[in-house]
Amino acid sequence: MVGELVLLKAKHIHYIEALDKKQESYEYWLTEHLRLNGVYWGLTALCLLDAKETFNKNEVIDFVMKCYVEATGGFAAFPRHDAHLLTTLSAVQILKTYDSLDVLSSSQLEKCVKFVKSNQLSDGSFQGDKFGEIDIRFVYTALSTLSILELLTPEVVDPAVNFILRCYNFDGGFGLYPGAESHAAWAFTSLGALAIVGRLNDLSENQINEIGWWLCERQVPEGGLNGRPGKLPDVCYSWWVLSSLALIDKLDWIDYDKLREYILKCQDEKGGISDRPDNEVDVFHTLFGIAGLSLMGFGNLIPVDPVYCMPVSVTKTIKKYPYN
Amino acid sequence: MHGVKRKQWTQELLKQKKIQDERKIAVYRDLTSKALKSRDQCCYTPESLKDTTRLLQANPEFNAIWNYRREILIHLKTALDEEFWDSELMFTLAQLKMFPKVYWIWNHRLWTLENHSKSSVKVWERELAMVSKLLQLDARNFHGWHYRRLILDKIEKFTGCNRDKEELKFVTENINKNISNYSAWHQRTVLIPRLFANKQISDEKEFMRKEFAYITNAIFTDAEDQSVWFYINWFIKNEMVLSALEREEYINLLQDLEKNIRVINQDDLEFSGKQNNWCLKILIVIEKVQREMGLTIESHTNEYLKQLIEADPLRKNRYVSLGEEMS
Repeated sequence: MVGELVLLKAKHIHYIEALDKKQESYEYWLTEHLRLNGVYWGLTALCLLDAKETFNKNEVIDFVMKCYVEATGGFAAFPRHDAHLLTTLSAVQILKTYDSLDVLSSSQLEKCVKFVKSNQLSDGSFQGDKFGEIDIRFVYTALSTLSILELLTPEVVDPAVNFILRCYNFDGGFGLYPGAESHAAWAFTSLGALAIVGRLNDLSENQINEIGWWLCERQVPEGGLNGRPGKLPDVCYSWWVLSSLALIDKLDWIDYDKLREYILKCQDEKGGISDRPDNEVDVFHTLFGIAGLSLMGFGNLIPVDPVYCMPVSVTKTIKKYPYN
Repeated sequence: MHGVKRKQWTQELLKQKKIQDERKIAVYRDLTSKALKSRDQCCYTPESLKDTTRLLQANPEFNAIWNYRREILIHLKTALDEEFWDSELMFTLAQLKMFPKVYWIWNHRLWTLENHSKSSVKVWERELAMVSKLLQLDARNFHGWHYRRLILDKIEKFTGCNRDKEELKFVTENINKNISNYSAWHQRTVLIPRLFANKQISDEKEFMRKEFAYITNAIFTDAEDQSVWFYINWFIKNEMVLSALEREEYINLLQDLEKNIRVINQDDLEFSGKQNNWCLKILIVIEKVQREMGLTIESHTNEYLKQLIEADPLRKNRYVSLGEEMS
């Protein structure tokens, strides 16, 4: 059975290419609020499949710039929507992947940085926008954005690190807020953010071991990974859990072959990957399935960076903080 | 997309969907452009509020529309009475029942409470009752638990006293109802250190004795679920336990726990022919704690690790790494 499972690269490329041609479907319009994220997910998956040229670079960059919100300086998911930290990171990731950050004018760049920084609160956390939702995800998105722009400063970084460390829990996981239950996605955002600013050393060896233990217990007998104890496996945790394990140098604490088999079982023969076998596919799970396979070294994929979820060839050009 | 079964689309089904979608798309896009247009014109009327309601019912993840809705409410605020704010809470409750995992709805509900014309402690206490009910329906909803902690903080700010003791009762009831409620075990690890730090435990020794009894009872009830085992891993290594009990009693209770885990493991072996992996994992921890306390014990860690490498091959490399640490 395992021997028969292969990564359907051409089908996935075709699936991603066709995503923007589904305008006859109601769901296409219902997901406008995720469009810019979707472009990042699709583009990154294509890069890992060595098919970056599938998207038209100029069209994509035009779309990104249409999502720029003059009034706030951030990026929205779709033209005329509102800027948010989540979508601002997607915009910056796409521009960086195309080596096109210079399409931002100096005043746009300045306003964008101001938008990110202005959402930091006194305890070091970040709100997603002015309406005050606070979440560890936004700490990651803010630090990742500023890192790609190579404009991190100790004034932003130090309080953010303190906040992240306060999200560490009894079980070696991280919550979305101090006191909140551990979840694999927040292990990634916490460890990823610490890695971005070169502060993984703030965790003790003992903590690293506990983190590794909790993460490797996410693998369930069918091979997939879950996000929390007692929950079903889901392909997106192939990314959240695996990248976290990679960041603490314990990637091999789970079984690669079983996970590979699980991810491949979630493929639709027509292209795309779903959360669980025989479910509806989407571009989010397609990326995270492929990124997981890349991290484990399967399928001759382009190497992915566990910190940024972008091709290593792109991220190695990012200047590392602290800057000299 | 999470948890949606893959559909096999025949040509006929696709044709039908296309016809149905055409109308829905037209309505949705009209409504969207109308709402965004009135937003751009700074139109803050009850009529525009209704448009956001319709749009958010169709798509509760449309954050720009949630933002517009709040702008409208801010502008209409002086004209909005208690009844209105209660209806706003009803609206988000109905949304949460349909979409309990949408962050934007939880966030808007919190904003509504902050802006409620009667933002008294009563409103927040009513909310605490609401979220208790919601957690009965979905005991692991992390949004619900997070929201609950925010509500409790707010009540504490109003009244000046915390409800940690009542919360511990709530958490215990939840665990007693379902021993695999990891969210409740998590909350237990948040509350107990705080109760100790705030000196809210009258007899600290007795509390710790009871906690040892509680976890022992839990593993005899269900030794397969990882919730209680992660809790034990944290509890026995916690400085506060040792300092409350003092060394001798702590060691006795720890060794009693170790004996009980061995009994469970032996029972499993006799019953199913297999040892219990979680028993072995925690026995390793207990041996390590004792070694670090300077006790001379007969170590079985290497045997346990060998057994785990066989029986829990997914995590083989962790056990190999623990073995290397030993030597």
